[in-house]
Amino acid sequence: MESSLRTNVGGVNLETPVIVASGVWPMDPRLWPAGSMEGVGAVCSKGMTFEPREGNRGFRIMETYAGILNSIGLQNYGVEHFIAKELPLLDNSCRPVIVNIAFETLEDLRRILERLKVCRSMVGVVEMNVSCPNVSRGGLSWGVHTESLGNAVSMARQVWEGPLWVKLSPQVPSMGEFARLSQECGAQAVVVGNTWLGMAIDNDLERPFFENVFAGLSGPAIFPLALRAVWEAAGAVNIPVIGCGGIARPGDALSMILAGASAVEVGTALFIDSGLPASICRELEANLTKKGLASVRELVGRARNDQGENGEKSR
Amino acid sequence: MDRSVAPMKGPPADRRGSLFFSRSLGDHCVHMGVELEGLTPKAIPGQFFLIRERGVLDPLLGRPLALVASKGNVLEFLFRISGRGTARLASLPPGAALELRGPCGNGFPEPVGDELVLVAGTLGIAPFIGISSFSSEKVRITAVLGVPGKGWEKFVEWCLERFPGIRINSDDGSIGRHGDPVEDTLSFVGQGHEVWGCGPEAMLRGLGRVHEKGCEKLLVSLEKRMACGTGGCLGCSIRTGSGMKRVCVDGPVFEWREVFGGAHGK
Repeated sequence: MESSLRTNVGGVNLETPVIVASGVWPMDPRLWPAGSMEGVGAVCSKGMTFEPREGNRGFRIMETYAGILNSIGLQNYGVEHFIAKELPLLDNSCRPVIVNIAFETLEDLRRILERLKVCRSMVGVVEMNVSCPNVSRGGLSWGVHTESLGNAVSMARQVWEGPLWVKLSPQVPSMGEFARLSQECGAQAVVVGNTWLGMAIDNDLERPFFENVFAGLSGPAIFPLALRAVWEAAGAVNIPVIGCGGIARPGDALSMILAGASAVEVGTALFIDSGLPASICRELEANLTKKGLASVRELVGRARNDQGENGEKSR
Repeated sequence: MDRSVAPMKGPPADRRGSLFFSRSLGDHCVHMGVELEGLTPKAIPGQFFLIRERGVLDPLLGRPLALVASKGNVLEFLFRISGRGTARLASLPPGAALELRGPCGNGFPEPVGDELVLVAGTLGIAPFIGISSFSSEKVRITAVLGVPGKGWEKFVEWCLERFPGIRINSDDGSIGRHGDPVEDTLSFVGQGHEVWGCGPEAMLRGLGRVHEKGCEKLLVSLEKRMACGTGGCLGCSIRTGSGMKRVCVDGPVFEWREVFGGAHGK
Protein backbone atom coordinates (compact mmCIF):
# COMPACT_ATOMS: atom_id res chain seq x y z
CA MET A 1 0.00 0.00 0.00
CA GLU A 2 1.03 3.59 -0.57
CA SER A 3 2.76 5.30 2.33
CA SER A 4 0.17 8.08 1.98
CA LEU A 5 -2.32 5.76 3.68
CA ARG A 6 -0.12 5.00 6.70
CA THR A 7 -1.45 6.39 9.90
CA ASN A 8 -1.38 6.05 13.66
CA VAL A 9 -4.70 5.66 15.38
CA GLY A 10 -5.26 5.35 19.10
CA GLY A 11 -1.81 3.96 19.91
CA VAL A 12 -1.29 1.65 16.95
CA ASN A 13 0.43 2.09 13.59
CA LEU A 14 -1.68 1.09 10.60
CA GLU A 15 -0.53 0.57 7.02
CA THR A 16 -3.98 1.68 5.91
CA PRO A 17 -6.93 3.22 7.78
CA VAL A 18 -9.22 0.30 6.86
CA ILE A 19 -9.97 -2.19 9.62
CA VAL A 20 -11.98 -5.40 9.42
CA ALA A 21 -14.68 -5.06 12.09
CA SER A 22 -15.36 -7.64 14.76
CA GLY A 23 -17.53 -10.61 13.83
CA VAL A 24 -16.86 -10.66 10.11
CA TRP A 25 -14.05 -13.10 9.35
CA PRO A 26 -13.41 -16.23 11.41
CA MET A 27 -10.52 -16.39 13.86
CA ASP A 28 -8.60 -18.65 11.47
CA PRO A 29 -7.14 -16.60 8.58
CA ARG A 30 -6.92 -19.75 6.49
CA LEU A 31 -10.70 -19.47 6.06
CA TRP A 32 -10.65 -15.84 4.88
CA PRO A 33 -11.62 -15.40 1.23
CA ALA A 34 -8.73 -15.34 -1.19
CA GLY A 35 -7.34 -11.83 -1.60
CA SER A 36 -9.43 -10.37 1.21
CA MET A 37 -6.45 -8.92 3.12
CA GLU A 38 -5.41 -6.48 0.41
CA GLY A 39 -5.83 -2.97 1.75
CA VAL A 40 -6.56 -4.12 5.31
CA GLY A 41 -4.72 -2.19 8.02
CA ALA A 42 -5.86 -4.24 11.03
CA VAL A 43 -8.25 -7.02 11.94
CA CYS A 44 -10.67 -7.12 14.88
CA SER A 45 -11.23 -10.47 16.51
CA LYS A 46 -14.69 -11.88 17.12
CA GLY A 47 -16.18 -10.67 20.42
CA MET A 48 -14.65 -12.66 23.27
CA THR A 49 -15.85 -13.16 26.83
CA PHE A 50 -14.13 -14.60 29.91
CA GLU A 51 -16.13 -17.83 29.87
CA PRO A 52 -17.14 -19.71 26.71
CA ARG A 53 -20.59 -18.87 25.36
CA GLU A 54 -22.73 -20.90 22.96
CA GLY A 55 -24.60 -17.84 21.76
CA ASN A 56 -28.30 -17.35 21.17
CA ARG A 57 -30.83 -19.97 20.25
CA GLY A 58 -33.35 -19.64 17.45
CA PHE A 59 -32.77 -17.67 14.30
CA ARG A 60 -29.60 -15.61 14.33
CA ILE A 61 -29.76 -13.55 11.18
CA MET A 62 -32.41 -12.02 9.00
CA GLU A 63 -31.97 -9.89 5.94
CA THR A 64 -33.74 -6.53 5.99
CA TYR A 65 -33.92 -3.81 3.36
CA ALA A 66 -30.24 -3.19 2.52
CA GLY A 67 -29.19 -4.62 5.87
CA ILE A 68 -29.05 -7.52 8.28
CA LEU A 69 -30.49 -8.05 11.74
CA ASN A 70 -28.27 -10.33 13.81
CA SER A 71 -28.71 -12.00 17.14
CA ILE A 72 -25.59 -14.12 17.47
CA GLY A 73 -25.19 -13.70 21.21
CA LEU A 74 -21.40 -13.52 21.49
CA GLN A 75 -20.74 -17.15 20.67
CA ASN A 76 -17.08 -17.75 21.52
CA TYR A 77 -14.78 -20.19 23.27
CA GLY A 78 -13.67 -17.86 26.05
CA VAL A 79 -10.42 -16.06 26.83
CA GLU A 80 -8.23 -19.10 27.54
CA HIS A 81 -9.03 -20.71 24.19
CA PHE A 82 -8.59 -17.35 22.49
CA ILE A 83 -5.10 -16.91 23.90
CA ALA A 84 -4.01 -20.49 23.25
CA LYS A 85 -5.58 -21.18 19.86
CA GLU A 86 -7.04 -18.13 18.14
CA LEU A 87 -4.79 -15.18 18.86
CA PRO A 88 -1.67 -16.93 17.45
CA LEU A 89 -3.60 -17.60 14.23
CA LEU A 90 -4.77 -13.99 13.98
CA ASP A 91 -1.21 -12.88 14.65
CA ASN A 92 -0.25 -14.69 11.43
CA SER A 93 -2.26 -12.12 9.48
CA CYS A 94 0.77 -9.82 9.87
CA ARG A 95 -1.48 -6.95 10.86
CA PRO A 96 -2.28 -5.48 14.26
CA VAL A 97 -4.93 -7.57 15.99
CA ILE A 98 -7.70 -5.53 17.59
CA VAL A 99 -8.96 -7.78 20.37
CA ASN A 100 -12.68 -7.21 20.85
CA ILE A 101 -13.84 -8.03 24.38
CA ALA A 102 -17.28 -8.25 25.97
CA PHE A 103 -18.14 -8.58 29.65
CA GLU A 104 -21.16 -8.85 31.90
CA THR A 105 -19.42 -7.74 35.10
CA LEU A 106 -16.48 -5.51 35.99
CA GLU A 107 -14.80 -8.56 37.46
CA ASP A 108 -15.07 -10.34 34.08
CA LEU A 109 -13.54 -7.30 32.41
CA ARG A 110 -10.65 -7.25 34.87
CA ARG A 111 -10.00 -10.99 34.49
CA ILE A 112 -10.01 -10.84 30.67
CA LEU A 113 -7.52 -7.97 30.65
CA GLU A 114 -5.28 -9.66 33.22
CA ARG A 115 -5.16 -12.75 31.01
CA LEU A 116 -4.43 -10.72 27.88
CA LYS A 117 -1.35 -9.29 29.59
CA VAL A 118 0.38 -12.65 29.14
CA CYS A 119 0.21 -12.27 25.36
CA ARG A 120 0.65 -8.51 25.22
CA SER A 121 2.96 -8.65 22.19
CA MET A 122 0.21 -10.17 20.03
CA VAL A 123 -2.49 -7.72 21.13
CA GLY A 124 -2.43 -4.59 19.00
CA VAL A 125 -5.36 -2.96 20.73
CA VAL A 126 -8.09 -3.90 23.18
CA GLU A 127 -11.47 -2.84 21.80
CA MET A 128 -14.16 -2.77 24.49
CA ASN A 129 -17.60 -3.77 23.28
CA VAL A 130 -19.85 -1.80 25.61
CA SER A 131 -23.07 -2.86 23.90
CA CYS A 132 -23.09 -6.09 25.91
CA PRO A 133 -25.41 -6.28 28.94
CA ASN A 134 -24.34 -5.12 32.40
CA VAL A 135 -25.67 -7.77 34.78
CA SER A 136 -25.63 -5.41 37.76
CA ARG A 137 -27.99 -3.09 35.89
CA GLY A 138 -30.49 -5.78 34.98
CA GLY A 139 -28.93 -6.48 31.62
CA LEU A 140 -28.98 -2.89 30.35
CA SER A 141 -26.09 -2.27 28.00
CA TRP A 142 -22.91 -0.86 29.64
CA GLY A 143 -22.66 1.75 26.95
CA VAL A 144 -26.01 3.50 27.38
CA HIS A 145 -25.51 4.77 30.92
CA THR A 146 -22.76 7.25 31.78
CA GLU A 147 -21.98 5.79 35.20
CA SER A 148 -21.59 2.19 34.00
CA LEU A 149 -19.64 3.24 30.90
CA GLY A 150 -17.34 5.40 33.02
CA ASN A 151 -16.77 2.60 35.53
CA ALA A 152 -15.96 0.07 32.83
CA VAL A 153 -13.57 2.25 30.86
CA SER A 154 -11.82 3.47 34.02
CA MET A 155 -11.38 -0.10 35.25
CA ALA A 156 -10.00 -1.19 31.88
CA ARG A 157 -7.58 1.73 31.84
CA GLN A 158 -6.27 0.79 35.27
CA VAL A 159 -5.62 -2.83 34.33
CA TRP A 160 -4.61 -2.58 30.66
CA GLU A 161 -1.57 -0.49 29.78
CA GLY A 162 -1.70 -1.08 26.03
CA PRO A 163 -3.82 0.74 23.46
CA LEU A 164 -7.46 0.88 24.53
CA TRP A 165 -10.42 1.67 22.27
CA VAL A 166 -14.08 1.83 23.21
CA LYS A 167 -16.64 0.67 20.65
CA LEU A 168 -19.60 2.81 21.57
CA SER A 169 -23.22 1.82 21.42
CA PRO A 170 -25.34 3.93 19.08
CA GLN A 171 -28.23 3.57 21.53
CA VAL A 172 -27.21 6.71 23.44
CA PRO A 173 -28.94 10.06 23.73
CA SER A 174 -25.76 11.96 22.83
CA MET A 175 -22.87 10.34 20.99
CA GLY A 176 -20.70 13.36 21.74
CA GLU A 177 -21.25 13.05 25.50
CA PHE A 178 -20.47 9.31 25.60
CA ALA A 179 -17.42 9.73 23.37
CA ARG A 180 -16.11 12.52 25.61
CA LEU A 181 -16.70 10.40 28.72
CA SER A 182 -14.71 7.54 27.16
CA GLN A 183 -11.85 9.94 26.46
CA GLU A 184 -11.91 11.30 30.01
CA CYS A 185 -11.76 7.75 31.40
CA GLY A 186 -8.69 6.85 29.39
CA ALA A 187 -9.78 5.54 25.99
CA GLN A 188 -7.24 6.26 23.25
CA ALA A 189 -9.88 6.09 20.50
CA VAL A 190 -13.60 5.58 20.17
CA VAL A 191 -15.19 3.35 17.58
CA VAL A 192 -18.49 4.86 16.47
CA GLY A 193 -20.43 2.69 16.62
CA ASN A 194 -21.94 -0.76 16.89
CA THR A 195 -25.14 -2.27 15.45
CA TRP A 196 -28.43 -0.42 15.95
CA LEU A 197 -31.10 -2.20 17.93
CA GLY A 198 -34.00 -3.31 15.79
CA MET A 199 -36.44 -6.18 15.62
CA ALA A 200 -38.63 -8.21 13.31
CA ILE A 201 -42.01 -9.86 13.74
CA ASP A 202 -43.00 -13.20 12.25
CA ASN A 203 -46.44 -12.19 10.97
CA ASP A 204 -47.57 -15.79 10.48
CA LEU A 205 -46.64 -16.91 13.98
CA GLU A 206 -47.54 -13.50 15.45
CA ARG A 207 -44.45 -13.28 17.60
CA PRO A 208 -40.95 -11.74 17.48
CA PHE A 209 -38.69 -13.37 14.92
CA PHE A 210 -35.69 -13.52 17.29
CA GLU A 211 -35.75 -15.32 20.63
CA ASN A 212 -34.08 -12.29 22.24
CA VAL A 213 -36.74 -10.08 20.61
CA PHE A 214 -34.28 -7.30 19.71
CA ALA A 215 -31.41 -7.75 17.28
CA GLY A 216 -28.59 -5.61 15.90
CA LEU A 217 -29.08 -3.90 12.54
CA SER A 218 -26.06 -3.47 10.28
CA GLY A 219 -25.34 -2.92 6.61
CA PRO A 220 -25.79 -0.05 4.18
CA ALA A 221 -29.21 0.77 5.64
CA ILE A 222 -27.56 2.32 8.72
CA PHE A 223 -24.80 4.28 7.00
CA PRO A 224 -26.41 7.75 7.26
CA LEU A 225 -27.10 7.14 10.97
CA ALA A 226 -23.53 6.05 11.62
CA LEU A 227 -22.13 9.00 9.67
CA ARG A 228 -24.12 11.40 11.82
CA ALA A 229 -22.85 9.66 14.95
CA VAL A 230 -19.25 9.97 13.72
CA TRP A 231 -19.79 13.65 13.06
CA GLU A 232 -21.10 14.21 16.58
CA ALA A 233 -18.32 12.20 18.25
CA ALA A 234 -15.54 13.83 16.23
CA GLY A 235 -16.82 17.23 17.27
CA ALA A 236 -16.65 16.28 20.94
CA VAL A 237 -13.26 14.59 21.46
CA ASN A 238 -9.56 15.06 20.79
CA ILE A 239 -8.80 11.33 20.54
CA PRO A 240 -9.28 9.60 17.18
CA VAL A 241 -12.72 8.48 16.09
CA ILE A 242 -13.01 5.27 14.08
CA GLY A 243 -16.06 5.26 11.85
CA CYS A 244 -18.04 2.04 11.79
CA GLY A 245 -21.49 1.34 10.45
CA GLY A 246 -22.89 0.59 7.04
CA ILE A 247 -19.84 1.34 4.90
CA ALA A 248 -20.55 -0.50 1.67
CA ARG A 249 -18.86 1.56 -1.04
CA PRO A 250 -15.46 3.28 -1.19
CA GLY A 251 -17.13 6.69 -1.12
CA ASP A 252 -18.79 5.84 2.21
CA ALA A 253 -15.38 5.40 3.84
CA LEU A 254 -14.20 8.71 2.40
CA SER A 255 -17.33 10.39 3.79
CA MET A 256 -16.61 8.98 7.26
CA ILE A 257 -13.05 10.31 7.12
CA LEU A 258 -14.14 13.73 5.86
CA ALA A 259 -16.65 13.80 8.73
CA GLY A 260 -13.83 13.32 11.22
CA ALA A 261 -12.97 9.62 11.37
CA SER A 262 -9.25 8.80 11.48
CA ALA A 263 -9.92 5.26 10.29
CA VAL A 264 -12.88 3.10 9.41
CA GLU A 265 -14.10 -0.36 10.28
CA VAL A 266 -15.94 -2.34 7.63
CA GLY A 267 -18.15 -5.26 8.48
CA THR A 268 -21.36 -6.40 6.85
CA ALA A 269 -20.33 -5.28 3.36
CA LEU A 270 -17.49 -7.81 3.47
CA PHE A 271 -20.14 -10.52 3.42
CA ILE A 272 -20.75 -9.54 -0.19
CA ASP A 273 -17.46 -7.94 -1.26
CA SER A 274 -14.23 -9.15 0.29
CA GLY A 275 -12.35 -6.73 -1.98
CA LEU A 276 -13.90 -3.64 -0.39
CA PRO A 277 -10.83 -2.68 1.72
CA ALA A 278 -8.67 -2.59 -1.40
CA SER A 279 -11.33 -0.53 -3.23
CA ILE A 280 -11.46 1.92 -0.33
CA CYS A 281 -7.69 2.34 -0.40
CA ARG A 282 -7.74 3.05 -4.13
CA GLU A 283 -10.48 5.63 -3.59
CA LEU A 284 -8.53 7.34 -0.82
CA GLU A 285 -5.31 7.42 -2.86
CA ALA A 286 -7.15 8.86 -5.85
CA ASN A 287 -8.73 11.49 -3.64
CA LEU A 288 -5.36 12.48 -2.17
CA THR A 289 -3.86 12.77 -5.65
CA LYS A 290 -6.79 14.85 -6.87
CA LYS A 291 -6.41 17.27 -3.98
CA GLY A 292 -2.61 17.28 -4.00
CA LEU A 293 -2.42 15.96 -0.44
CA ALA A 294 0.35 13.74 0.92
CA SER A 295 -1.37 11.81 3.68
CA VAL A 296 -4.78 10.40 4.51
CA ARG A 297 -4.42 12.22 7.83
CA GLU A 298 -4.97 15.46 5.94
CA LEU A 299 -8.40 14.25 4.84
CA VAL A 300 -9.64 13.70 8.39
CA GLY A 301 -12.44 16.12 9.22
CA ARG A 302 -12.08 18.25 6.09
CA ALA A 303 -15.87 18.42 5.77
CA ARG A 304 -15.92 20.22 9.12
CA ASN A 305 -13.45 22.94 8.25
CA ASP A 306 -15.94 25.67 7.62
CA GLN A 307 -18.63 24.47 9.96
CA GLY A 308 -19.99 26.45 12.83
CA GLU A 309 -20.07 25.01 16.33
CA ASN A 310 -23.60 23.71 15.87
CA GLY A 311 -22.63 21.88 12.69
CA GLU A 312 -24.34 24.36 10.38
CA LYS A 313 -22.46 25.43 7.28
CA SER A 314 -21.26 29.00 7.74
CA ARG A 315 -21.69 30.83 4.48
CA MET B 1 -16.27 -43.40 -7.06
CA ASP B 2 -14.40 -41.72 -9.85
CA ARG B 3 -14.06 -38.07 -9.03
CA SER B 4 -12.91 -36.33 -12.14
CA VAL B 5 -13.27 -33.11 -10.18
CA ALA B 6 -10.78 -32.68 -7.37
CA PRO B 7 -11.91 -31.32 -4.00
CA MET B 8 -11.64 -27.58 -3.68
CA LYS B 9 -8.59 -26.58 -1.66
CA GLY B 10 -8.29 -23.47 0.45
CA PRO B 11 -10.84 -20.78 1.19
CA PRO B 12 -13.63 -19.62 -1.10
CA ALA B 13 -13.12 -16.59 -3.31
CA ASP B 14 -15.39 -13.83 -4.56
CA ARG B 15 -15.95 -14.22 -8.27
CA ARG B 16 -17.72 -12.36 -11.04
CA GLY B 17 -20.09 -14.00 -13.45
CA SER B 18 -23.17 -13.43 -15.54
CA LEU B 19 -26.46 -15.21 -15.96
CA PHE B 20 -26.06 -17.72 -18.78
CA PHE B 21 -29.54 -19.23 -18.68
CA SER B 22 -32.53 -19.40 -16.38
CA ARG B 23 -35.49 -21.67 -16.94
CA SER B 24 -38.56 -22.45 -14.88
CA LEU B 25 -39.12 -26.02 -13.78
CA GLY B 26 -42.62 -25.20 -12.56
CA ASP B 27 -43.96 -24.37 -9.09
CA HIS B 28 -41.38 -21.63 -8.47
CA CYS B 29 -38.42 -23.92 -9.20
CA VAL B 30 -35.64 -22.46 -11.31
CA HIS B 31 -32.67 -24.06 -13.07
CA MET B 32 -29.96 -21.45 -13.50
CA GLY B 33 -26.62 -21.38 -15.30
CA VAL B 34 -23.94 -18.86 -14.39
CA GLU B 35 -20.99 -18.16 -16.64
CA LEU B 36 -17.90 -17.32 -14.62
CA GLU B 37 -15.21 -14.84 -15.54
CA GLY B 38 -11.72 -16.23 -15.12
CA LEU B 39 -10.78 -19.67 -13.94
CA THR B 40 -13.55 -22.07 -12.98
CA PRO B 41 -13.03 -23.30 -9.44
CA LYS B 42 -13.00 -26.99 -8.70
CA ALA B 43 -15.81 -28.06 -6.44
CA ILE B 44 -17.30 -31.29 -5.15
CA PRO B 45 -20.95 -32.30 -4.74
CA GLY B 46 -22.42 -30.77 -1.62
CA GLN B 47 -20.42 -27.57 -1.83
CA PHE B 48 -22.32 -24.36 -2.50
CA PHE B 49 -21.96 -20.78 -3.68
CA LEU B 50 -23.45 -17.56 -2.33
CA ILE B 51 -24.96 -15.86 -5.37
CA ARG B 52 -26.24 -12.31 -5.74
CA GLU B 53 -26.84 -9.62 -8.31
CA ARG B 54 -23.65 -7.60 -8.71
CA GLY B 55 -23.70 -3.94 -7.67
CA VAL B 56 -27.03 -4.19 -5.85
CA LEU B 57 -27.22 -3.50 -2.12
CA ASP B 58 -30.85 -4.53 -1.70
CA PRO B 59 -31.33 -7.46 -1.44
CA LEU B 60 -27.95 -7.53 0.21
CA LEU B 61 -26.79 -11.07 0.84
CA GLY B 62 -25.86 -13.82 -1.55
CA ARG B 63 -28.20 -16.80 -1.59
CA PRO B 64 -26.53 -20.11 -0.72
CA LEU B 65 -27.19 -22.47 -3.63
CA ALA B 66 -25.78 -25.98 -3.98
CA LEU B 67 -23.74 -26.61 -7.06
CA VAL B 68 -25.63 -28.93 -9.44
CA ALA B 69 -23.10 -29.28 -12.21
CA SER B 70 -20.12 -27.58 -13.78
CA LYS B 71 -19.62 -27.56 -17.55
CA GLY B 72 -16.70 -25.54 -18.83
CA ASN B 73 -16.99 -22.17 -17.13
CA VAL B 74 -20.74 -22.49 -16.57
CA LEU B 75 -21.94 -23.48 -13.12
CA GLU B 76 -25.48 -24.80 -12.74
CA PHE B 77 -27.77 -24.31 -9.77
CA LEU B 78 -31.33 -25.10 -8.71
CA PHE B 79 -33.40 -22.89 -6.47
CA ARG B 80 -36.97 -22.27 -5.40
CA ILE B 81 -38.38 -18.75 -5.29
CA SER B 82 -38.99 -18.26 -1.58
CA GLY B 83 -38.29 -14.59 -0.88
CA ARG B 84 -36.99 -11.31 -2.24
CA GLY B 85 -33.52 -12.55 -3.10
CA THR B 86 -34.52 -15.64 -5.02
CA ALA B 87 -37.37 -13.74 -6.72
CA ARG B 88 -34.83 -11.19 -7.89
CA LEU B 89 -32.47 -13.89 -9.16
CA ALA B 90 -35.33 -15.55 -11.04
CA SER B 91 -36.33 -12.30 -12.73
CA LEU B 92 -32.89 -11.46 -14.15
CA PRO B 93 -32.35 -11.57 -17.91
CA PRO B 94 -29.49 -13.53 -19.50
CA GLY B 95 -26.26 -11.58 -19.26
CA ALA B 96 -27.16 -10.01 -15.90
CA ALA B 97 -24.08 -9.32 -13.77
CA LEU B 98 -23.70 -11.64 -10.79
CA GLU B 99 -21.31 -12.12 -7.89
CA LEU B 100 -20.51 -15.52 -6.44
CA ARG B 101 -18.64 -16.49 -3.27
CA GLY B 102 -17.42 -20.05 -3.24
CA PRO B 103 -17.04 -22.90 -3.39
CA CYS B 104 -18.12 -22.97 0.27
CA GLY B 105 -18.51 -25.85 2.67
CA ASN B 106 -17.12 -29.34 2.97
CA GLY B 107 -19.17 -31.30 0.40
CA PHE B 108 -19.76 -35.03 0.46
CA PRO B 109 -16.76 -37.31 1.04
CA GLU B 110 -15.98 -40.50 -0.85
CA PRO B 111 -18.53 -43.19 0.08
CA VAL B 112 -17.19 -45.89 2.34
CA GLY B 113 -18.95 -48.84 0.76
CA ASP B 114 -20.14 -49.81 -2.69
CA GLU B 115 -23.90 -49.26 -2.17
CA LEU B 116 -24.88 -45.61 -1.99
CA VAL B 117 -28.45 -44.40 -1.43
CA LEU B 118 -29.26 -40.73 -2.12
CA VAL B 119 -32.47 -39.40 -0.56
CA ALA B 120 -33.72 -36.00 -1.70
CA GLY B 121 -36.67 -33.87 -0.72
CA THR B 122 -37.63 -31.67 -3.72
CA LEU B 123 -34.69 -29.35 -4.51
CA GLY B 124 -32.52 -31.36 -2.16
CA ILE B 125 -31.68 -33.29 -5.31
CA ALA B 126 -29.31 -30.47 -6.32
CA PRO B 127 -26.03 -31.75 -4.84
CA PHE B 128 -26.81 -35.31 -5.95
CA ILE B 129 -27.04 -34.55 -9.65
CA GLY B 130 -23.26 -34.25 -9.80
CA ILE B 131 -22.85 -37.51 -7.94
CA SER B 132 -24.81 -39.38 -10.63
CA SER B 133 -22.15 -38.49 -13.17
CA PHE B 134 -19.33 -39.35 -10.79
CA SER B 135 -20.60 -42.85 -10.16
CA SER B 136 -18.69 -45.79 -11.46
CA GLU B 137 -19.15 -49.52 -11.65
CA LYS B 138 -17.56 -49.72 -8.25
CA VAL B 139 -20.33 -47.79 -6.51
CA ARG B 140 -23.96 -48.67 -7.10
CA ILE B 141 -26.21 -45.67 -6.59
CA THR B 142 -29.93 -45.68 -5.84
CA ALA B 143 -31.65 -42.31 -5.72
CA VAL B 144 -34.96 -41.51 -4.02
CA LEU B 145 -36.92 -38.30 -4.54
CA GLY B 146 -39.91 -36.87 -2.73
CA VAL B 147 -42.12 -34.08 -4.09
CA PRO B 148 -45.51 -32.67 -3.03
CA GLY B 149 -47.15 -33.88 -6.25
CA LYS B 150 -49.34 -31.93 -8.67
CA GLY B 151 -47.44 -29.05 -10.23
CA TRP B 152 -44.07 -30.78 -9.88
CA GLU B 153 -44.25 -32.81 -13.11
CA LYS B 154 -41.74 -30.64 -14.97
CA PHE B 155 -39.28 -30.77 -12.08
CA VAL B 156 -39.59 -34.56 -11.83
CA GLU B 157 -39.07 -34.87 -15.58
CA TRP B 158 -35.91 -32.77 -15.25
CA CYS B 159 -34.66 -35.03 -12.45
CA LEU B 160 -35.39 -38.19 -14.46
CA GLU B 161 -33.38 -36.85 -17.40
CA ARG B 162 -30.37 -36.41 -15.16
CA PHE B 163 -30.94 -39.36 -12.89
CA PRO B 164 -32.58 -42.21 -14.86
CA GLY B 165 -34.05 -44.77 -12.51
CA ILE B 166 -34.60 -42.35 -9.64
CA ARG B 167 -37.43 -43.55 -7.35
CA ILE B 168 -40.18 -40.92 -7.35
CA ASN B 169 -42.52 -40.37 -4.40
CA SER B 170 -45.24 -37.77 -4.07
CA ASP B 171 -47.32 -36.69 -1.10
CA ASP B 172 -50.55 -36.66 -3.13
CA GLY B 173 -49.79 -39.76 -5.17
CA SER B 174 -50.06 -37.91 -8.48
CA ILE B 175 -46.45 -38.64 -9.51
CA GLY B 176 -44.73 -41.95 -8.86
CA ARG B 177 -45.34 -43.76 -5.61
CA HIS B 178 -47.80 -42.32 -3.09
CA GLY B 179 -45.77 -41.64 0.03
CA ASP B 180 -42.68 -39.98 1.35
CA PRO B 181 -39.06 -40.66 0.41
CA VAL B 182 -38.08 -41.81 3.90
CA GLU B 183 -40.63 -44.62 3.96
CA ASP B 184 -39.58 -45.60 0.45
CA THR B 185 -35.94 -45.69 1.53
CA LEU B 186 -36.74 -47.79 4.58
CA SER B 187 -38.45 -50.32 2.31
CA PHE B 188 -35.21 -51.43 0.71
CA VAL B 189 -32.13 -50.32 2.66
CA GLY B 190 -30.14 -52.59 4.90
CA GLN B 191 -26.70 -53.37 6.18
CA GLY B 192 -24.00 -52.21 3.81
CA HIS B 193 -25.97 -49.29 2.42
CA GLU B 194 -24.51 -45.85 2.92
CA VAL B 195 -27.26 -43.19 2.92
CA TRP B 196 -26.95 -39.50 2.10
CA GLY B 197 -29.86 -37.09 2.54
CA CYS B 198 -30.63 -33.56 1.46
CA GLY B 199 -33.96 -31.83 1.92
CA PRO B 200 -36.27 -30.40 4.59
CA GLU B 201 -35.11 -30.83 8.18
CA ALA B 202 -38.12 -33.00 9.11
CA MET B 203 -37.21 -35.42 6.32
CA LEU B 204 -33.56 -35.52 7.35
CA ARG B 205 -34.51 -36.11 10.97
CA GLY B 206 -36.82 -38.97 9.95
CA LEU B 207 -34.09 -40.48 7.82
CA GLY B 208 -32.36 -41.49 11.06
CA ARG B 209 -34.59 -44.58 11.05
CA VAL B 210 -32.28 -46.16 8.46
CA HIS B 211 -29.97 -46.87 11.40
CA GLU B 212 -32.60 -49.35 12.66
CA LYS B 213 -32.29 -51.12 9.31
CA GLY B 214 -28.59 -51.69 9.83
CA CYS B 215 -27.28 -48.71 7.83
CA GLU B 216 -24.30 -47.40 9.73
CA LYS B 217 -23.25 -44.46 7.61
CA LEU B 218 -25.83 -41.68 7.23
CA LEU B 219 -24.78 -38.23 6.04
CA VAL B 220 -27.11 -35.24 5.76
CA SER B 221 -26.67 -31.88 4.08
CA LEU B 222 -28.22 -29.05 6.11
CA GLU B 223 -29.71 -25.73 5.08
CA LYS B 224 -29.42 -22.66 7.28
CA ARG B 225 -29.77 -18.93 6.95
CA MET B 226 -26.25 -17.59 6.51
CA ALA B 227 -24.42 -14.38 5.72
CA CYS B 228 -20.64 -14.68 5.29
CA GLY B 229 -20.16 -18.24 4.01
CA THR B 230 -16.70 -18.31 5.57
CA GLY B 231 -17.37 -19.25 9.19
CA GLY B 232 -17.02 -15.73 10.56
CA CYS B 233 -20.45 -14.35 11.36
CA LEU B 234 -21.72 -17.47 13.17
CA GLY B 235 -25.21 -16.83 11.81
CA CYS B 236 -25.51 -20.49 10.74
CA SER B 237 -24.20 -22.09 13.95
CA ILE B 238 -25.85 -25.27 15.20
CA ARG B 239 -25.50 -27.27 18.39
CA THR B 240 -24.08 -30.74 17.77
CA GLY B 241 -22.82 -33.68 19.74
CA SER B 242 -19.32 -32.28 19.32
CA GLY B 243 -20.07 -28.68 20.21
CA MET B 244 -21.12 -25.67 18.16
CA LYS B 245 -20.60 -26.10 14.41
CA ARG B 246 -20.90 -23.71 11.49
CA VAL B 247 -23.01 -25.09 8.64
CA CYS B 248 -21.11 -22.96 6.12
CA VAL B 249 -17.60 -24.30 6.83
CA ASP B 250 -17.91 -27.32 9.15
CA GLY B 251 -20.83 -28.50 6.97
CA PRO B 252 -23.18 -28.40 5.23
CA VAL B 253 -22.60 -32.17 5.25
CA PHE B 254 -22.68 -33.78 8.69
CA GLU B 255 -23.01 -37.22 10.18
CA TRP B 256 -26.70 -37.62 11.09
CA ARG B 257 -25.86 -38.66 14.66
CA GLU B 258 -23.76 -35.54 15.14
CA VAL B 259 -26.68 -33.18 14.48
CA PHE B 260 -29.82 -35.17 15.30
CA GLY B 261 -28.61 -37.85 17.70
CA GLY B 262 -28.49 -37.29 21.47
CA ALA B 263 -29.90 -34.46 23.58
CA HIS B 264 -28.58 -31.64 21.37
CA GLY B 265 -30.60 -32.89 18.38
CA LYS B 266 -33.99 -32.81 20.09
